[in-house]
Amino acid sequence: MQHSLKRRNETDSCFFLSRYRHRSSMATLNLSSLQALSSHRLCSSFPQNTPTPSFNFQLKPSINPRPISLKPYVSEKPRARVVALAVKSLGDTEALAVSPENDGPAGELPSGAGVYAVYDTNGDVQFIGLSRNIAASVAAHWKSVPELCGSVKAGVVDEPDRETLTQAWKSWMEEYIKDSGKVPPGNESGNATWVRQAPKRKPDLRLTPGRRMQLTVPLENLIDGLVKENKVVAFIKGPRSAPLCGFSQRVIAILENEGVDYESVNVLDEEYNYELRETLKKYSNWPTFPQIFVDGELVGGCDILTSMYEKGELASLFKK
Amino acid sequence: MSSRGATAVLSRASRIRSKLQTALEATVLEVDDVSYQHAGHAAVKGSSDKETHFNLNIVSPKFEGQSLVKRHRLIYDLLADELQSGLHALSIVAKTPHETNPSK
Repeated sequence: MQHSLKRRNETDSCFFLSRYRHRSSMATLNLSSLQALSSHRLCSSFPQNTPTPSFNFQLKPSINPRPISLKPYVSEKPRARVVALAVKSLGDTEALAVSPENDGPAGELPSGAGVYAVYDTNGDVQFIGLSRNIAASVAAHWKSVPELCGSVKAGVVDEPDRETLTQAWKSWMEEYIKDSGKVPPGNESGNATWVRQAPKRKPDLRLTPGRRMQLTVPLENLIDGLVKENKVVAFIKGPRSAPLCGFSQRVIAILENEGVDYESVNVLDEEYNYELRETLKKYSNWPTFPQIFVDGELVGGCDILTSMYEKGELASLFKK
Repeated sequence: MSSRGATAVLSRASRIRSKLQTALEATVLEVDDVSYQHAGHAAVKGSSDKETHFNLNIVSPKFEGQSLVKRHRLIYDLLADELQSGLHALSIVAKTPHETNPSK
């Protein structure tokens, strides 16, 4: 009886640890018998006076334990096998250096979906994340916390549905926890350094204070100032958050994908941008929308932007 | 037969083709009406005209030495009347014969 109670204590500590798992809506651990033995050794390092939650769970090494779940439990064993094939283990994956000389990590890392681990310059894991575009996610991390990004391990997942991605992420997290006895700092509860908050979309620009106000400057002067004061300006139909025209939609998608900082103007806004459409057509000598300006000059419409995007010419255009 | 009457009978696609061919002497001229793809388009809901969207694929020596913006402007200028009378949007691919057959 005493031996049984002691084992339960260790088990509770183990499950307490799992509460820190990032982005996991369910506090679950899939332990094989072998891992269970490793976890026992892992849990013994925890102080005994750690407050532990109560679980109706009895760990028996001889059988594969059923994970605790508030949702209806569906066996994940077949999927786990798929995940084993979908992504290499964390330890077997090669690290790719991230350094300022590379002008950001996007060039070397895969842009596919999968799981990735960010190491600092000391070789310590800072964060393990999952992403639809690993290169873009790492580039974002690099931009915000370059001092913590020394190298990256990336595991691409084919057929990346949500569950497969989550399973791949779990397998890397579990492997790291097993090896190090702790959660990566960036994945700890409350650490917001690595979590990309929903990007607040820039508001569309307005050329005038509103219809009721008298313009003291000709509209074409306002347009001229606008395109010259901002590096990239897109005149589109509808707001950037919900373009009302397929061509404007495609332009916004390209600009977002390039990660460029740009301004947008809704030419259909009759309250703040009234008479803009006709004035802009004369100003640019271009009869349709969207119209994209870079460095004060018209680049063209959707077709030209798409053509440059497909040829890979946009990066240099925006960097000038 | 008056020329005005003849013009009124032609579809927009025919008018577009005629204007572009006359001015550009194109070796390739594809004029595809894709208005059906934009049916219910918010910006053209009020329009009673059905021919609102066209895809153009043009190969012409007149584009030699011209930037993409200038090529598209040239085409827009030729179709200015159409753009003011219901034509909503054009998708344009404009190339020189050399660009379509680089080996020549």
